[in-house]
Amino acid sequence: MGELTVETRHLEGVTLLYPRGFINAHNVRLFESELQRVLEQGQFKLVVNCADLAYIASAGLGAIMGAIEEIRDHGGDLRLAGLNATVLNIFEILGMHRLYRIFASEAEAIQSFLSLEGPAA
Amino acid sequence: MLPSQTCFLSLVRDLTKRMAELAGFDEGTPDRIALAVDEATTNAIEHAYHGAADRAVELRFDEQGQELRVEVVDSGQGIDPRAMPRVDLERYASERRRGGLGVHLMGRIMDSVTFRRSARRNVCCLVKQKRPGPPEA
Repeated sequence: MGELTVETRHLEGVTLLYPRGFINAHNVRLFESELQRVLEQGQFKLVVNCADLAYIASAGLGAIMGAIEEIRDHGGDLRLAGLNATVLNIFEILGMHRLYRIFASEAEAIQSFLSLEGPAA
Repeated sequence: MLPSQTCFLSLVRDLTKRMAELAGFDEGTPDRIALAVDEATTNAIEHAYHGAADRAVELRFDEQGQELRVEVVDSGQGIDPRAMPRVDLERYASERRRGGLGVHLMGRIMDSVTFRRSARRNVCCLVKQKRPGPPEA
């Protein structure tokens, strides 16, 4: 898949995904498969760290939207961190910033799972 | 003209962004226009051509006065814009929907998005005005 890598880490019971590059229709399957792999492992507290994500097309947004119901049905959540202005604007254009909790930093996103703030915005 | 393969989408994006910059758009607008054209091209490849990799997608850029017009042209299956689902994001996830976000995104980014059928070709026309306007978000 072109120009996308996805790394995964686990920290304090939270699974961190690091998509690096960009997500579009050409490479979304890589992101989807990593997301699905994490869910199949029973990991439902997810932070997608977008600090190295240049942009995301609707295919990537659809992958996130496609997973969120399963994640929240299991009492978890998918939260986002480190969005650059371009990616944040894409979320805002669609109104997705009202559906997902977005944090400036990974640390804040992880902390949101550790404190008793509830699963979703 | 580009092959109908998604590996060329990043090229489409980079080219569109540069064309928008040359047309005088700035402050993030070229990125958004590039995304809209990426989405239109993706739709041509995945829906009009059903993923066939041996076809062609044509991009046309035209700057006239205060607007940039981008046309994405394919010779695939006719698309009925009236059949395109309207997206309600609040229900999108709960209904386990897939697809439809691209057209929704195009409509939110561009000032106008129109579809027409011409000589057995689909023409998706995206227009962005240069005038300052209300924020997109």
